[in-house]
Amino acid sequence: MNDEINTECVIEARGLTKVFRDFWGRPKVLAVNGINLDVRRGEIFGLLGPNGSGKSTTIKMILGLLHPSSGQLSVLGQSPRTVSVKSRMGFMPEESYLYKYLTADEILNFYANLYGMSGPHKTERVNTLIEQMGLSKARDRRVGEFSKGMARRIGLAQALLNDPDLILLDEPTSGLDPIGCREVKDLLLALARQGKTILICSHHLSDMQDICSRVAILLQGEVCATGSVQELLATPDTLKLTLRAPSQTTLTAVLDLLERETGTRPQVDHTGRTLESVYIETVSQRKSAP
Amino acid sequence: MSTHPGKSLTRISALAGLTVRDAVRSRLLVSLGGILIIGLIGLPLLISGDNTLSGRLQVILNYTLNFAVTMLSIVTLWTACGGVSSEIQDRRLYLVLTKPVHRHELWLGKWLGIVALNALLLTLTGFIIGVMTWHTLLTSPESETGKRQAREQFLLARQSLFPESPVSTQQALSSAGALLKSGRAPAGMDAAQVATELMKELKSARFVIAPTGTIRFTYPLLTPCTGVNDGILKYRIESSRPERNPIPAQWEIQTAAGIALHLSVTNYPGLPNRLLIPGSVMRGAQFLTLSYHRLDSSSPATLFMAQNGQEPELLIPSGSWAMNLGRGLLMILCRLAFLSALGLTAGCLLSTPVAVFVAFFMMVLLALSGYVESVATSGVFYIPHEGAALSKTWLDKVVLGQFKGLNRLTQPLLHLDPVPLLEEGRRISWLLTAHALAWLAGLYTAVTAVIGIFLFNRREMG
Repeated sequence: MNDEINTECVIEARGLTKVFRDFWGRPKVLAVNGINLDVRRGEIFGLLGPNGSGKSTTIKMILGLLHPSSGQLSVLGQSPRTVSVKSRMGFMPEESYLYKYLTADEILNFYANLYGMSGPHKTERVNTLIEQMGLSKARDRRVGEFSKGMARRIGLAQALLNDPDLILLDEPTSGLDPIGCREVKDLLLALARQGKTILICSHHLSDMQDICSRVAILLQGEVCATGSVQELLATPDTLKLTLRAPSQTTLTAVLDLLERETGTRPQVDHTGRTLESVYIETVSQRKSAP
Repeated sequence: MSTHPGKSLTRISALAGLTVRDAVRSRLLVSLGGILIIGLIGLPLLISGDNTLSGRLQVILNYTLNFAVTMLSIVTLWTACGGVSSEIQDRRLYLVLTKPVHRHELWLGKWLGIVALNALLLTLTGFIIGVMTWHTLLTSPESETGKRQAREQFLLARQSLFPESPVSTQQALSSAGALLKSGRAPAGMDAAQVATELMKELKSARFVIAPTGTIRFTYPLLTPCTGVNDGILKYRIESSRPERNPIPAQWEIQTAAGIALHLSVTNYPGLPNRLLIPGSVMRGAQFLTLSYHRLDSSSPATLFMAQNGQEPELLIPSGSWAMNLGRGLLMILCRLAFLSALGLTAGCLLSTPVAVFVAFFMMVLLALSGYVESVATSGVFYIPHEGAALSKTWLDKVVLGQFKGLNRLTQPLLHLDPVPLLEEGRRISWLLTAHALAWLAGLYTAVTAVIGIFLFNRREMG
């Protein structure tokens, strides 16, 4: 989605493999099997795949929570196990692994302290993110009392606290209403425009299609397909033509001509809006009404 | 970003603060505080003792301190084990570890948080014990003399003194050397063993009191007494005969200025005795010589004076009770700090229930350090009767090495329990407190921490 994608690799995996072993050290599960991955600076990269395909294991290796069994993995030019590299990363997990007894304000301050932030800079950053995530009215409420959507927002806020260069998001739009979903997608696009690299793991294919510049599809621990979204979606011998509806005579004549040329009769359909756009328009109109 | 020491401190204090906040918000602190208050106030009400003021004070100091230490030890282990393992299980730690946090910072932060909680609860314990003790003393219907005696007995820190030995270890060693040279020492014994036997023999000979005989002990008073409070001499008489007839005797108390006092006593063999030595006698004295004159001439029995195989112990006033209690609580905090380290290390490797089980097992081993010492020195599992022949089985031989190793590990901890000292009103010196700080909160905790952090660093968060 970014016009000028840098070719510098932020995440580089070569033959990355992860084998989970049992208590006696015998191989139990081959979760990731020799994958190669390049995520470039400034792009939004989507990691797709069914449950158990190795997405979460790959993300955990990138975060340094799991150690690769073999292969090479470099994140921002360093080993992911290097602690200093984590100061340039932000992570939003699939579920809200947050301390439920803390308020939104306390939780952001706590994570800001872990980044070594202090003073007015910390206060300003926390306030900005709380406002940006629409949590100003809930900043003194405990996270345990939050709805799933609000918890996702605070999860995203903590991932952005350190203004990271690399952002890893596991199902970022899960639990959000369509407007919240759109806001998050817009935010991610804006971040990518600022040069941030974003790696997303999601089952919401339409969301991934909306924002990802490149994707990789994982299956049984292996990369089955990878490339830009346009490349993967494009069918080279098929075209889509959008035009203002002509008269029936003209349309029939054009269709006959095209059928003679290609051997198949073209399919004609009315273009329609998506349900998402109708929903957003309706709700926005109602909210802005006096 | 992560290596700056100031930022490292920020992270550690944030993690410690989170641990304390967790305990406050989850109502653990309030519940524990409540249980402590109920236990500390309720126990002395339930256990009446002998209904004397001294008995009630004994109950307060003995039961409440033991109750508080036991409860805090269990809670510390539980909290420490769960501090890491439960956060791994519910994955809250994943988010923390994706931040620029070294695992040793996480370990230290958690440990400091638990130690801070313990410090808070121990302060509450000390405050309650102090209030209850003074309330019991002030509201007691006993006479002023009774109150004074009880105060003298329990509410005063007393330094323990033993008399000068008639022979020094150096002298014993040189005598042993001479015996070995002349070939009069038993075969197979080295100089140290001969010297030990010599010392034992000399001590035994020193304790003997023949009818109408006298035994004399000299106590150097390291710090001159103010003379406000009395001293206490603790001694026990044993008889060579089975009869337990009362023994009339007289104690003579002598200082550099001359004989200060004669006190007549009647002692029963086998029972502990306490002799109050007036503070006025000890005022400004450099040393105190106490002579025991046995007055009975008709009894053929030989008497031995020994308190658990040692010379009579003189307890002299030395500092305030409140400060003593403070030092005792600090020693307990050192022990809890070590237990926190033990629990955290177990929690870094194992799931909560398994970690708790392992940590409790380690705690039991430490509590059994006296037994471990007995096995390591005697070489058998059972505790043998004095003088009985030892019969070693193959099992004793196999595990003796392990027990000796364990004994070396637990040896420094044997004398670091302040509760018996507080119960008996003995002074807990700053040296002993520093010893507890260095060994328990220092070396043992550091070694446990290094092991825990090393293994935690290798652990994957899958």
